[in-house]
Amino acid sequence: MKLINKDIRKDFPILEKKILDKNLIYFDTAASAQKPQIVIDEQNKFYSDSYSNVSRGVHSLCVDATFKYEGARKKVKEFINARSENEIIFTKNATEAINLVAHTFFQKFMNSGDEVILSIMEHHSNLIPWYFLRDRYGIVIKFIKVDNNGELDSEHLRSLITEKTKIISITHLSNVFGTVLNQEIIKIAKDCAIPVLLDGCQSASHINVDVQKMNCDFYVFSGHKVYGPSGVGVLYGKEKLLEKLPPYLGGGGMIGEVTLDGVTFAELPAKYEAGTPPMAEVYGLGIAIDYLSALGMNEVEEYENKITSYAYKKMNSLDYVKIYGSNENRASIISFNLEGIHAHEVASFLDVEGIAVRAGHHCCQPLMNHLNVNATSRASFGIYNNFDEVDIFIEALNKCRNFFIK
Amino acid sequence: MNELLKELYQEIIMDHGNDPRNFGECKNHNRTADGHNPLCGDKVHITLMVNESNVIEDVKFSGVGCAISIASASLMTESLKNQNLDYAEKLFTDFICLVRGEDRKFEILNEDDSLCSLKGVGAFPMRVKCATLPWHTFKSALSS
Repeated sequence: MKLINKDIRKDFPILEKKILDKNLIYFDTAASAQKPQIVIDEQNKFYSDSYSNVSRGVHSLCVDATFKYEGARKKVKEFINARSENEIIFTKNATEAINLVAHTFFQKFMNSGDEVILSIMEHHSNLIPWYFLRDRYGIVIKFIKVDNNGELDSEHLRSLITEKTKIISITHLSNVFGTVLNQEIIKIAKDCAIPVLLDGCQSASHINVDVQKMNCDFYVFSGHKVYGPSGVGVLYGKEKLLEKLPPYLGGGGMIGEVTLDGVTFAELPAKYEAGTPPMAEVYGLGIAIDYLSALGMNEVEEYENKITSYAYKKMNSLDYVKIYGSNENRASIISFNLEGIHAHEVASFLDVEGIAVRAGHHCCQPLMNHLNVNATSRASFGIYNNFDEVDIFIEALNKCRNFFIK
Repeated sequence: MNELLKELYQEIIMDHGNDPRNFGECKNHNRTADGHNPLCGDKVHITLMVNESNVIEDVKFSGVGCAISIASASLMTESLKNQNLDYAEKLFTDFICLVRGEDRKFEILNEDDSLCSLKGVGAFPMRVKCATLPWHTFKSALSS
């Protein structure tokens, strides 16, 4: 079995890069993960060796490309333990996947006045699609409260559920706090027979995801955050539910029969994949999943938790660092501020030290308002990070503090 | 310390960032605008008093943001006060070119101007918008 150790860095060519003569320390995996050489190579090879449109021809290249495209679907199915490949829909990203669910679910199951429950710490991608429904069709959105550690308030959720609640859509792993969703939240929803959508953008690359065990109805994630290419996302939906929902985008590939009077639609999963899909990207995503699976997601989780915990403790020992959330139930993400220094200054300073962190509202403006901050910096870790990098990062935080606070 | 950082965070920037001038709202104003950078959350509110001869009698700002955006707003108010609108428009164009690092002859700016302390932003392309936000907001206040 492949091991997560320092050698793993050699798989990621970009980590050789110097930033202003400093070694790159990439602590921005939560925004997008870097790519192993094999993903880059295999995706290129798809273009030079297997390329043709998928699913709509009989020639050899078409067969090869289709085989590779559908092979990736099988890999995704196994990666998140779906029941069937019909439950795996490729989209252009996780955002499109949430939009797909919001709009088709509304069309089939909701009316004006019906309710959706989100949380206040959702990424904008799990807010705006529902805001569209509120603005256009008059649905009601309720928000679960979050405590200072990024845990959803389960009692509050209970109080929000009514007969009109049709779906609950929440993050599986907060991109600000790094907290993993408490399974009790899903149980509360399921006890009331309310479908649950989990935004898995941060969880898919960090923890072992089992959609059956979690009993969620929808789960979405993006390819680029699991060390795969950008331009591809995944929607998992329970087959029975996806069968009931209407199609989303119309076009080639999603049809059964078309006449001048009308159309019948293709079966799953083609029903939701109108137009030429991101073929090379889907194939590349499959290769990235092979790569992660060879490491083992349990090992990935364990390793990243160690790094995160190490960084948390070191950062927490600095009296000028404010960390958002506790060290409990935290995976791979630490949002923080240095007292008296704006997050952008911190990020620019660290950049010059070769360290890439994110600064801003992390597409979570309502949560930033709730925390009463304008912006935070965020360090996030991936399989290629190590303890030495954390030490350099801590040293750089000290330098940054000394630079700005005289 | 890295030269680019030194250039970016000159003393005058840190001074204005920590202790902004003309912070608040003009008692009497006839132009105002709010600026917001949705990418990073910086916010600025600008009020102006422009008199009948098109001279900016007073200009103040308030808001939240990083040292660069606050310093830029503070320096901007200092450089615009008691100037006429024609001058302000030209200065706007000069300043935008300055922070974008564009090689162009300025109409008004010269290198001794305090505004030129923001030139170092050009080396940090993602921070240019921090410096330009107050200026764009000022521009929209003019047409308010």
